[in-house]
Amino acid sequence: MSETDLSVPFRRRAGSALGDKHLQEALTIATTKFIGLRRDAFDEFPEGERLRDLAREIKEATLQHLHRYVEQLIDSVERLGGHVHYATTPEEARRVVLDIAARTGARMAVKSKSMASEEIHLNEALEAAGVIPIETDLGEYIIQLAHERPSHIIAPAIHKTKGQVADLFAKELKRQVAADPEELTRIARVELRQKFLEADLGITGANFAVADTGTVVLVTNEGNGRMVTSLPRVHVAVMGVEKVVPSMTDLMVFLQILAKSATGQKLSVYTTLVRGPRRPGELEGPDEFHLVLLDNGRIRQIAGPLREALYCLRCGACLNVCPVYRQIGGHAYGYTYPGPIGILLTAMLEGPGSVKDLAHASSLCGACADACPVRIDIPKMLVELRREIHEARIAPWTERLAYGLMEKVLASPSLYRWSKPLARLLQRPFARDGRIRSVPLAFTEWTRTRDLPALAPQTFHEQWPTLK
Amino acid sequence: MTTRTEFLSRIRTEVGKTPGLFSARTAPRPSDPRAVSETIKRELAERWPQALERFQLEFERVAGVFHRAASIAVVPQVVAGIARENEVRRLVAWDAPELGADLLDALTARGLEPFAMPPGDLADATERAELRRRVADAELGLTGVDLAIAETGTLVLRSGAGRPRSTSLLPACHIAVFDRTALIETLGQAGVFLELWNRGELEGRIGAVTSFITGPSRTADIELTLTRGVHGPKEVHAIFVDQAIRG
Ligand code: SF4
Repeated sequence: MSETDLSVPFRRRAGSALGDKHLQEALTIATTKFIGLRRDAFDEFPEGERLRDLAREIKEATLQHLHRYVEQLIDSVERLGGHVHYATTPEEARRVVLDIAARTGARMAVKSKSMASEEIHLNEALEAAGVIPIETDLGEYIIQLAHERPSHIIAPAIHKTKGQVADLFAKELKRQVAADPEELTRIARVELRQKFLEADLGITGANFAVADTGTVVLVTNEGNGRMVTSLPRVHVAVMGVEKVVPSMTDLMVFLQILAKSATGQKLSVYTTLVRGPRRPGELEGPDEFHLVLLDNGRIRQIAGPLREALYCLRCGACLNVCPVYRQIGGHAYGYTYPGPIGILLTAMLEGPGSVKDLAHASSLCGACADACPVRIDIPKMLVELRREIHEARIAPWTERLAYGLMEKVLASPSLYRWSKPLARLLQRPFARDGRIRSVPLAFTEWTRTRDLPALAPQTFHEQWPTLK
Repeated sequence: MTTRTEFLSRIRTEVGKTPGLFSARTAPRPSDPRAVSETIKRELAERWPQALERFQLEFERVAGVFHRAASIAVVPQVVAGIARENEVRRLVAWDAPELGADLLDALTARGLEPFAMPPGDLADATERAELRRRVADAELGLTGVDLAIAETGTLVLRSGAGRPRSTSLLPACHIAVFDRTALIETLGQAGVFLELWNRGELEGRIGAVTSFITGPSRTADIELTLTRGVHGPKEVHAIFVDQAIRG
């Protein structure tokens, strides 16, 4: 898994992704397809733009009173016999889940796709505690068998071919299968059906949680979300604290745009609204329901520079349109959340130092903000993040030196005037045909993958007097 | 371990530090969802044929199979047809009052092996396990419908006593029966019903789960190839009954 190894610098991870022909092809096909599906869905839905504004407003309104809504959510869940837990750190969240597993004597846990549980590295912890975690989303199941990480928020295994999946099933499940998606899916259905029926613990994330009613909302296409919340005797939902929405009416606003943004569907196949444990008289459903509310860096961003990233619905639309993601794919980013929003979320979870390279893995073209259903201004926050990284002196010294000089020169007219002849002199050995293709010493990185335009013989500023 | 008080007070402190990015409000909720839901139904009493047409269109777009029956008495015949086509016979169904009619004898007469879910919970663990095995082995699941949303071709099913979650989930073929009283037009309207169902009076009487089902289970996780029936049903049939099911 060298491509996700964080000890390898980002530019090497990105470089190896760029050299992987199969990955390049898969990424182009997948992201292009998602972009088309999304566009068609919104073209057919004239209210879409207004609902996006409304959804954005609801997210902001919720954050402005988040303490109230979270408290209401807690009360609602407890009133229905559910239990709520609070986790400031990933360690704490893992501990909560492990304690529940131990107390209920759980041996096997079935999971429906949950970015929050990826974020806290729950599977490793469960395994270490002797509880077998089974990912049940087909894409997640495949990469779990392959011991890899998701490469896309909503299509975790887009980097794998059907041939690779067939080989994987042959090796891990000891079954010879044709490299046919239909057949591979059938095998997975049979394998996983047994697990659903046997597992003691069902673990999910939450796409939303409705404060007013204490309802956890899961959106899936495969139906694993329903299985996991219906069959095991204990259900644990792990959720970032920003996922709360005030009411069912608000929820419907999000449901109208989420699937359209993610896969171009009007609605995903299953939207499952779960309110606590099985009710009296109900034959099925868990005896226990637990909600784990996760902070992990989110709460301090309510008043922080990344506040807007707390609106995110995890739809993946910004990944598909990002020229950087489309080239390097999810693994090269190296963390749980890839793509443009992933850079911001990583900074939120791991601190700005963790993204000193990643913060530059964006052309700031703005495609992400256009595609985002809640219109998150990702480029603005990336610029802000770059500034923070610069000011915190986390950036490389060469970069800081270059920007520091630039700042001085641009701020002073006389320095600016003097700098031009000096710069022309300095660039002379490197400039060819008006371009600088490589610079020496510690600055070589700058021109490794891009050219700099050389300074013109006469700048506009110098031409101005003669033009008049 | 972080306590509720610590957790909430930390959020409160951070919220207190900022006025927010812009002035914002949540979506306006119906103050009297019962009255609004009744208005929706009243309006649908006239517009339902258009709504049904749209439902059929959208339902078929998501690979649902649409049927129409003159009355509930015709439903066993339609179900038997589906069973014959799939060459299967084991069927589990919601309890008769939840379904709106007792169809077991008629289904048996047509060569099926139907089994009705109990009206409530089973106290005995072995009995419960046996029942689950029966549902897992069944090939057809027959349920009612609480809402059919025209805009998206979606079936909304509430869980509860006599209407377990697995009937529409474990069998490879789900058959849902509804009439015009379940029809609504938009997701926005569905929100009104969710507001209603989750309020005091009904809260204690309904089950813990509400499922929105929009076509058969699907995935595109292997090379983006659309494949149906990953975990949930491979087929979803909706039978619209012209004559009101409950007389
Ligand atoms: S930032 Fe916006 S587009 Fe990207 S995943 Fe989040 S909601 Fe979707």
